[in-house]
Amino acid sequence: MMESRQVPVEHVIAFRLNGKPVTVKCPPAYTLLEILRDKLHVTGPKEDCAKGECGACTVLMNGQPVCSCLVLVSQAQGSEIITSEGLVKDGKLNSVQEAFLEEGAVQCGHCIPGIIVSATALLMRNPNPTVEDIRTALAGNLCRCTGYTKIIVAVQEAAKKWSHRL
Amino acid sequence: MTRSEIDVLNPQTLDEALMLLHQDQPELRIIAGGSDVIVQLRDGVIKTKKLLNLLPLKELRFIRKIDDRIHTGSLTTYSDIVRSELVTKYARLLADAARQIGAIQLQNTATLGGNLGNASPAGDSLPPLYALNAVVVTRSNSGRREIPIEDFFIGYRKTALRPDELIEEVYFDALSENDRSAFLKLGLREANAISIVNVAVVLRGRKPDDSFTNVRIALGAVAPTIRRANKCEQALLNKRLDPGTMWKASTLAAEDTSPIDDIRGSAEYRKHVVTSLVYEGLYEAVVGRVKPHE
Repeated sequence: MMESRQVPVEHVIAFRLNGKPVTVKCPPAYTLLEILRDKLHVTGPKEDCAKGECGACTVLMNGQPVCSCLVLVSQAQGSEIITSEGLVKDGKLNSVQEAFLEEGAVQCGHCIPGIIVSATALLMRNPNPTVEDIRTALAGNLCRCTGYTKIIVAVQEAAKKWSHRL
Repeated sequence: MTRSEIDVLNPQTLDEALMLLHQDQPELRIIAGGSDVIVQLRDGVIKTKKLLNLLPLKELRFIRKIDDRIHTGSLTTYSDIVRSELVTKYARLLADAARQIGAIQLQNTATLGGNLGNASPAGDSLPPLYALNAVVVTRSNSGRREIPIEDFFIGYRKTALRPDELIEEVYFDALSENDRSAFLKLGLREANAISIVNVAVVLRGRKPDDSFTNVRIALGAVAPTIRRANKCEQALLNKRLDPGTMWKASTLAAEDTSPIDDIRGSAEYRKHVVTSLVYEGLYEAVVGRVKPHE
């Protein structure tokens, strides 16, 4: 019996990425993260666990933090996606990004793009978080340098300066 | 079969989704929030040529109170549940469970229908739904079925859902101010942890002597499906719930379980934990929450 060779399926998928419309032709069952990194070359979000446990791939989808490794690119059709890159406005870092630099909250840096996105989402809905609120908001983001103390301090500092720009 | 060969169908209405299921099953595999299906696709546990993405069906994302029941659409996310005033007021234990599932990223995408369809014995929303007397509503081209949750799960990761059906909603009892409830979970850490054991307690029909005419206790991660703690429930029914009575009944809870050894805990450990967690759940429901470090 001749084995029929499967042809890759491709869809044209459109969404907004960091404020700009993008259209990408790709296999629809790939993850949003794979397409962001490999096709659109937006490499802030990282793939570590690919199971939704580490948070390194966190992006905002319609304003909510989600693991981009657990969203099919097809499911992102028509949505608004923001990565850590998209939090920079006119070359200026947002207050979370600034605070992470000022407080020295970055060690190896690998988890930081995801953490910045989660912390920004927290301040968008709660500009005056308690330490407990911060810990809950970042519970889905692992830092294997275990630099959590400075990360929490940085988010507290960012909250003090939080001006409602994204 | 690699993922590049998988097609994704994106119906825009429920009718369209039902038509696709009718035509293409059993080749189709349903995907909702994706938190289980995507991992299973990548692990090769699911082999399919086509995915039916239900996420565009906004009509399946709702929380409503109709008479003395809460109705939740299958695409309701855990974040929707955590934020819902209706669930917080009438089924707080379900909101407590939703808050302890994964972390915020997962709660924003994972759905109640997905937890039902995935049918993991450790699914955290499932014991609350058992304890709340839930009914799963399924739909296909040939009509609607209402399946009591205890009949919906027919074995380890097996449900009564037919290949041409999808889950439309799940509805359950709205608790009154006199009712008592609790959900407790033991995981290996506070967030992003699959339950070693989870417990839901619902006490209804309160009488002046602090006894209850309706007791429902459901246990997760201790058998191929969620289990009701029948012997424990019988020992509590119409009894004044003082700590001694609650403890004695809790020691019977493990008799209705058949746990396994796995990476999260041994069967023996799970049986021990069931007793403690049921007692703690009853204590929280009747007396109040035990704060950490007290």
